[in-house]
Amino acid sequence: MTVRELLEKIKQKAEIEDSKEDLGVLNAYVKPSSLRSLLIYMRDSLGFDWMSFMTALDMPQENTIEAVYELFSNSSKDSARIKVKLSRQAAEVETVSDIYRTAEWHEREAAEMFGITFKNHPHPENLILTPDIKAPLRKDFSGGDMKRMPE
Amino acid sequence: MNGVDNELIKKIPGAPVIMTSVEWAINASRANSLWTVTFGLRCCAIEMMHTGGTKTDWSRFGFEVPAASPRRADVMVVAGTVSKKMAPVVKRLYEQMPGPKYVMAMGACAISGGPFIYDSYSVVMGVDKLIPVDVYIPGCPPRPEALIDGFIKLQKKIMAQKIRK
Repeated sequence: MTVRELLEKIKQKAEIEDSKEDLGVLNAYVKPSSLRSLLIYMRDSLGFDWMSFMTALDMPQENTIEAVYELFSNSSKDSARIKVKLSRQAAEVETVSDIYRTAEWHEREAAEMFGITFKNHPHPENLILTPDIKAPLRKDFSGGDMKRMPE
Repeated sequence: MNGVDNELIKKIPGAPVIMTSVEWAINASRANSLWTVTFGLRCCAIEMMHTGGTKTDWSRFGFEVPAASPRRADVMVVAGTVSKKMAPVVKRLYEQMPGPKYVMAMGACAISGGPFIYDSYSVVMGVDKLIPVDVYIPGCPPRPEALIDGFIKLQKKIMAQKIRK
């Protein structure tokens, strides 16, 4: 499946805000409300049976946090990258851990590192960090005894 | 024996007896049977294992056994980066060791935080923020020779201890 064909197929199922091709992989920004239905459709009908990883990106210039879901198909060997833009002040999105089990731990990691709230997550506590460190991978993080690199 | 002034031991001719001071005897016993808690946290641990291996065998100098439990150890080798999550464990194991106890900070991370000194949210900037350190061994990671040198420095420190305060 080419990137264009895949984009045409998922455009019928979800609201795509923006999309581009990056090194042969589709990058599609979807509305947070249609994320779950899109992932269920891609898993069941397009053969994307494997979630490679789920992570997040902090974009302070645009005041957004992007949640990134990288999918892979074991049958057609295609990859697809689904992204969701969230506001930095209230980063909140539905969990997809019941669709892809991989997402359970990855969402916990993204939650503690970027301060995203995953609604209906089965285990919403921290995965690795101690509770006193909050969202350390945000660009404006400053906490405790952390020293900034001199310019 | 290592680092020992020979004049401290006096042999009595014709009898299986040597004379020395109690201070020297106690210090020599301590310095030559240092059991270690090998606190291998990161890549320094590999060099520490190498130091205990056949090629640079550290038991030649009397630091014998890597103790399986801190309760029968005398010296703790903190080899690697101490993260904030590991900090309570380091402290607890140090408190479990019976006195007299000694700590060696091995490598740049255990001394000062090393390469993690800037922009790090998770690293303790030197193990001496948590527990008192006797010997600092610089290097990233230190070679086995450097670790053995640090151990011999610790033995010299132990031999200089006084019983009377």
